Amino acid sequence: MAARSSVATVTTERELVIMRIFDAPRPLVFKAWTEPEHLVHWWGPKGFTLPTCTMDFRLGGAYRFRMRGPGGDDHWLQGVYREIVEPERLVFTYAWADAEGKPGHETLVTVTFAEYNGKTKLTLHQAVFESVAVYNDHESGWTACLDRLAAYLAKA
Amino acid sequence: MAPDSLSITSAALADPTRRALLERLAQGEASVGELAGPFDMSLPAISQHLKVPETAGLMVRGCDAQWRPCQLTVGPRKDATDWLEHCRPFWEQSFDRLAEYLHRVQRKEKKHGRKK
Repeated sequence: MAARSSVATVTTERELVIMRIFDAPRPLVFKAWTEPEHLVHWWGPKGFTLPTCTMDFRLGGAYRFRMRGPGGDDHWLQGVYREIVEPERLVFTYAWADAEGKPGHETLVTVTFAEYNGKTKLTLHQAVFESVAVYNDHESGWTACLDRLAAYLAKA
Repeated sequence: MAPDSLSITSAALADPTRRALLERLAQGEASVGELAGPFDMSLPAISQHLKVPETAGLMVRGCDAQWRPCQLTVGPRKDATDWLEHCRPFWEQSFDRLAEYLHRVQRKEKKHGRKK
């Protein structure tokens, strides 16, 4: 297997950023994320449905979704709301889980909603170590450590 | 409830001493004694620190009773990276649906007057 030599590449791979402009007012786009009656209409890839969608939409509240694939396969997704700033920012943890609710690898998702010429610019950021990055914002020691880890991963 | 894996990993990395220890391990395996070298700390204190990344699965220790070198693991971080790769299509396709849905909702709202 080819080793990834660039530190930047490895670091970038640890987080995902997707931006999209929606032709709808910001309050509506925000609502689409925070109310089950909206969410069930769009959550998940094409062909998926959301037979279970429980949301305790408040700070520290949990959500749990059961997504059903086109083949009838069920996938559980769950997390906790960490930050709610209506209508501009939403932060929640995100983990696939088994039917018993045992979560797998957890990531942190940050969604920001910005006014954009009458439309809404949505930016989704999903990261593995987001909470650490926040605690150690721009701390050089942390950056150096990540660089070293990245270099190590490139060699491994 | 058991603490989630993100919290465990975060806790393991959210301390300057532990980050320095992991940084040293990124250069190759080392014994606790070797790791303790640059620190003004007792061996038990260093051992205590090492337990955190070990529990988080970021590091393993050898089985030899005398020589138990500490070594970084690749697993958890590699898994995380693979996992994120799978997320992009999930969101992209969801957003396609969200765009269509928002379009439908607004059309319906228009039809039913300027109802808020």
